[in-house]
Amino acid sequence: MRQLAGKIGEGLKNSLPSAVNSLLVPLLAVLTAVVLGGIVIALAGGNPFLAYVGLFQGAFGNARAISETAIWATPYIFAGLAVALAFKGGLFNIGAEGQLAFGAVVSALIGYALPGWLGFDLPAIIHIPFAILCGGLTGALWAAIPGFLKAYTGGHEVINTIMMNYIALNLTSFLLNGPMKDPNPNNVIARTPVIAESARLAPLFEGYRIHWGFLLALLVAFLVWVLLWKTTLGFEIRTVGANPDAARYAGINVKRTIVLTMALSGLLAGMAGTIEVTALNHRHELGFSIGYGFDAIAIALLGKTHPLGVVIAAILFGAMRNGATRMQFLTQIPVDVISVIQALILLFVAADAIIRYIYRIRAASERVVLTRGWGG
Amino acid sequence: MDWKRFLFILLVIAVLFGAVVLVGMVKQEPIIIIASMLATTITVATPLTLGALSGLFCERSGVVNIGIEGMMLTAAFFGWLAAIYMSSIFGFPALPSLLVGVFFAIVSGGLMALLHAALSVTFKVDQIIGGTVINILAIGITGFLNRQLFFESGSVFGGTVPHGPGTLPNILIPVGQGVKAICGWFGPSESCLTFANSMDKIFSQGPITYAAILLVILSHFVLFKTTWGLRTRSVGEHPRAADTVGINVAKMRYANVILGGMLAGLGGAYFTLESVPSFEPLMTNGRGFIALAAMIFGNWTPFGAWAASLVFGAAQAMQINMQVFRDVIPPQWAFLQVSYVVGLAPYILTMLILTGIIGKTIPPAADGVPYEK
Amino acid sequence: MKKLYAVVAILVLAAMLIPACTPTAPDCTLPEVFCVGMVTDVGKIDDKSFNQSAWEGLQAAREAGVADWVQYIETTDAKDYDKNIQTFADAGYDVIVTVGFALGEATYAAAAAYPEIYFIGIDQFQEWPYDDDPSNDLANFTSLNFPEDQAGFLVGALAAMMSDTGTIGAVCGTDAVPPVWRFGEGYRAGATYINPDINVLVVYHSDVGFDKTFTDPEWGAATAGSMIDQGADVIFGAGGKTGNGAVIEAAARGVYAIGVDTDQYYTLPEAASMMLSSAMKLITPGVAELISLARDAQNGGAAFPAGNYNGQAGYAPYHDLEDMVPQDVKDRMEEINAMLLSGELQTGVPPVKP
Repeated sequence: MRQLAGKIGEGLKNSLPSAVNSLLVPLLAVLTAVVLGGIVIALAGGNPFLAYVGLFQGAFGNARAISETAIWATPYIFAGLAVALAFKGGLFNIGAEGQLAFGAVVSALIGYALPGWLGFDLPAIIHIPFAILCGGLTGALWAAIPGFLKAYTGGHEVINTIMMNYIALNLTSFLLNGPMKDPNPNNVIARTPVIAESARLAPLFEGYRIHWGFLLALLVAFLVWVLLWKTTLGFEIRTVGANPDAARYAGINVKRTIVLTMALSGLLAGMAGTIEVTALNHRHELGFSIGYGFDAIAIALLGKTHPLGVVIAAILFGAMRNGATRMQFLTQIPVDVISVIQALILLFVAADAIIRYIYRIRAASERVVLTRGWGG
Repeated sequence: MDWKRFLFILLVIAVLFGAVVLVGMVKQEPIIIIASMLATTITVATPLTLGALSGLFCERSGVVNIGIEGMMLTAAFFGWLAAIYMSSIFGFPALPSLLVGVFFAIVSGGLMALLHAALSVTFKVDQIIGGTVINILAIGITGFLNRQLFFESGSVFGGTVPHGPGTLPNILIPVGQGVKAICGWFGPSESCLTFANSMDKIFSQGPITYAAILLVILSHFVLFKTTWGLRTRSVGEHPRAADTVGINVAKMRYANVILGGMLAGLGGAYFTLESVPSFEPLMTNGRGFIALAAMIFGNWTPFGAWAASLVFGAAQAMQINMQVFRDVIPPQWAFLQVSYVVGLAPYILTMLILTGIIGKTIPPAADGVPYEK
Repeated sequence: MKKLYAVVAILVLAAMLIPACTPTAPDCTLPEVFCVGMVTDVGKIDDKSFNQSAWEGLQAAREAGVADWVQYIETTDAKDYDKNIQTFADAGYDVIVTVGFALGEATYAAAAAYPEIYFIGIDQFQEWPYDDDPSNDLANFTSLNFPEDQAGFLVGALAAMMSDTGTIGAVCGTDAVPPVWRFGEGYRAGATYINPDINVLVVYHSDVGFDKTFTDPEWGAATAGSMIDQGADVIFGAGGKTGNGAVIEAAARGVYAIGVDTDQYYTLPEAASMMLSSAMKLITPGVAELISLARDAQNGGAAFPAGNYNGQAGYAPYHDLEDMVPQDVKDRMEEINAMLLSGELQTGVPPVKP
């Protein structure tokens, strides 16, 4: 079996161009997780082939399915970029969930209340960008707090962002149940009023839900790449992430860079929430925390914290979440199995030594340090 | 010992209790309020204490564990599953079934920890990511199995959750009896009897709750008074130095992480075998993360972690009681019964603690750093 | 090691050869095949609460031979409501059940777009209680609603009559969900109606997310324990598993317990010996009945009851405690129930938290 796996590894390695070679391990991680997931489905009494056919049909089977996959991928791209950017700066932003929720709340507020405050209707060309910007900035502010605490007091960002998640949850509950609750007498649940027409991001094509936010996400991914590799700030972020002591000797303001990295990360996470509001739901509803924060970590790691990798990983995760509906519809296999597969992917990507062992791939020369212990 | 920290914690608990007593006095005798809150505080603090101890052993040996939540959830599920199997399939009586359940909870917590140890010690995976893997995996596995085993007519238990063996019975420590006897000497007065009854409320707790308190003392002893504890701390502080004097760093870390997982497993057992006789997907509700915060709050010491867990417990007791007294609450304090507001307190406190305003929190020096020979 | 791989390989092959155990769906586009689909709100089908009760209604319809095929889709994110409803519509389903107020708008829109499909919304208040204008009704859309405040009022009155200490408690899910709020406030109103001086402790679990508020039995048990410590001798648990935790804790501590939604004497055997009654909101029979009405309507029978459809609510029998409840209390309960049904007595609880 392992000989076979080794051959697969060898064969893939030789036949693929070198650029793709760095994606070999993530690719094999996904493959292995899918096979293991199939075994789990089979052991539970389902038909793995039917399940995966359903999954694929649901994700890419027709134009509408592809459009829905893109819709799912959009917030994943933003949130994945948020976590990836923080990783580049040596920070672990586990609080994308809270930043996302707060970004969504504020952009909904701007979306429904701003025309009333101003007393006149805004043109869409101003209202949409403003709503997105405000949502993003809220996320940035929410993430900058743990960044500040990390830089100036040494409080570890992992604990602080987890705490900020809970605070965000409590505050959004309070806002959506109280001051921001939809005052329509027919409304009975915790949600904001519908945002104004002028704050809505339009669909790309008539009859499909895929919207401009998806293109914006791709553009932002490109901008993150430019930021990280073509600007001084990006260089500083990467240097602080790789070696804060060296960065200090090189004259980089490490504290400022930490706060900025967290703020930028929060900006991206906030935009994930804001796009959901302006393009799809047109309001913020106090729903269930469906775990964008955790998924974003998996996406960032699967994409090897590179913007292009994040986009691909986000589309993969979006496809799985979107296709899961059709899979369940066809086979009654619970959607939880998707969580198992995603956890396995994360496991194999994080512990690439396992994959390298199975498929006999030599270890990479450089070792990426993602985070450090509590001491910071 | 870090007296400043303990005084601060005591003060916080006193404020939380005091606020409720002040509000509720109109309606209820203070002693009854305090006894009721204390009982709730101790009960609620149990999984937090065990979770914090779990994190403590891992981190003292140099392995960061943010997978406590996942370990507790897994243990809650498998412990409950084992108890149900024992009672409904093998027909064992309730108590043995429950004890087998506790055993399996501890084992499954240990197994999840073994995975964490393998990831972080052998494969040298980033430990926070390893913990995240544990958390996501636990949600997926328990959710999936719970559905497959208990839902729909085609499942193992035919779509209905079988009548489980119930929960572990409470054990009453007869402190109240003693107080009553003392009351008798002075001629039984009303308030003395009330006091005795209140004692009975506080000292009637489940076995896992008592075990958690004993484990706090035991952990302190093990960590600070035994060779094992010394070795554990040395691999967490200076793994290289420990290595040179012949301590097997990897082995110590494996052992402590697994021990930690077993403690988290006992914490998971609390949910399904002591508190309520049922399992719910995601039922640990983030208490593993709170436990982690409690451990840091308590500055990586068992007693500190326990005290911090009690603060979180007291905050929850306050939340419950503020709503209980909501019709007698003075209007200017009405915001306190908005549970979102009170609910924020523990999180903000944790962040404050981390800033070091009440004394610096000092993690083990090699915490989170894989050891390379 | 090689052996291990061989074993794994065999396991994999064996696993793949297992035939699909799941029955395959019939072709729902055929006119003679009557299919019913259900879309959950952002919750799980096995939530032991609204979603599961509704799903059991679909299954009951299938067992009764009314529906030829039933199927559900679990929604994982609010943005998927439309997509999931459409999945059923495209597959030719005849009835689509959607659960929860949050799906109201999506369901209404789908009902307008697919006039030949019957839609049953649960707790969606299409008109009730604000809109009395029947011209807004869609002929193929009905909302199944329940007067939870009346059920709460009844058990509140019962609790007040059965309490010796003059203190009673209720442990509820989040008050942001109107049915839960109505249960809790109805309980308070009913107790006060019997005894204006009674001490009613009502606690809502509003401090956590929607995904957790109904699935936190540990919190429910701790809260009930706290109330019992303060002298409460009747505990009403209203809020999925959170409430169940409270009911079980009450029974374990030897005080009267009151369940919710169904007659929990049967669903919580641990607490049966102390189960005084349950505030009932019978979703399952309500859904099954509406499905059957939809089939009749499709076959050219009586018209589908568009608009609002009031489901059955009330209080459950006393079961094991039949002898503990005095006859005058039983009589009073029947009297109150009759007065509530006739509208002679109002609970005074507004439909939505002000």
